[in-house]
Amino acid sequence: MTTTGTDDFVTAEHMTEIAQEVWESFLSLTLLPHPLGAEAPALTGPTMTGCVHVSGEWQGSVFLECTAELAAAAAEAMFAADPGTLSPDEVSDALGELTNMIGGNIKSLLPAPSRLSVPSVAQGEGYTVRIPGASLVDRVVLVCAPGPLLISVWKV
Amino acid sequence: MKILIVDDSKAMRMIVARTLRQAGFGDHTLLEACDGRQGLQAVAEHAPDLVLSDWNMPEVSGIEFLRALRERGDDVRFGFVTSESTDAMRETAREAGALFLIGKPFTADTFTDMLGSVLV
Repeated sequence: MTTTGTDDFVTAEHMTEIAQEVWESFLSLTLLPHPLGAEAPALTGPTMTGCVHVSGEWQGSVFLECTAELAAAAAEAMFAADPGTLSPDEVSDALGELTNMIGGNIKSLLPAPSRLSVPSVAQGEGYTVRIPGASLVDRVVLVCAPGPLLISVWKV
Repeated sequence: MKILIVDDSKAMRMIVARTLRQAGFGDHTLLEACDGRQGLQAVAEHAPDLVLSDWNMPEVSGIEFLRALRERGDDVRFGFVTSESTDAMRETAREAGALFLIGKPFTADTFTDMLGSVLV
C-alpha cells in the first residue's frame, strides 16, 4: 500500500522502532519487519484492532491490527499468564494498552499541543475500520509469532 | 510503605507492580485504582506514601487527579507513568506537583533511578 499523506513527522522507521521497543520491553518478544513488507497479505480470520486518536495541533489516528491469536499471545506475555487462560476483556485490555503506548510515543513526534484519546479495541472477522476524511501517513507490517502486526498512522 | 498504582489498564497495573518488584521495591504494600476518581478515594482511604499514575484515563485523568489532590491540600508524593513523555508534559506535570514522569515503555532500572531517592 502506498502512502497518500504528506506528513513527515512520522516515518515507517519511527513506527517500527517504537513498536519494537514496546514489544521487547514489555513482552520480551521480538518484532521484525515482514519479509513481504507492504505486500504482506491482509489479515484473515479472527482479527483485533486497537486505535487511539490524536487531536489538537495534529489530528489523526494510530491503528494496531493483528490476528486474535497474536493479540492473545501478547496479552499472555503482558499478564505472565498461561496460554488460553485470559478472558476476552483481558486480551482487549492488553491490546488497548499496547496501542496506547505505541500511539503515545508516535504522538510525541507530532506537532504539539495535542491530546491522545483512551484506546478503543474492536474484534471480529472481515471488518474494516475507517476514519472519514483521513489519509494514510504510513503503514508498517511487522511479524512476531504467531502472526503479523500492522501499524498505521492516519491524518485527518 | 504504601504505593498506589493508578491506571485504567489492568495489564499495565500488573506490569508496574512487577517492575516495582524487579526494581527492589517488592517489600512495599501495593494498592491499585483504575482511574483518577478511584485514585482520589484510595488516597483518602489508605494514605499511600507514593502515587504512580497514568496520565490518559477515562473519568478523571492523571493530571486532573493530581490537581484535585493538591487542591484539597494533599501533598502525597506523586509520579506519572505514561506513554507520552514530551518536554511540555513533563513541565505540566512538574507545575502540578509531580516529582517525576516515567515514559512507557520503561525498565526496572528506570524505576530504580526515579524512585530510589523518593522511597527512602
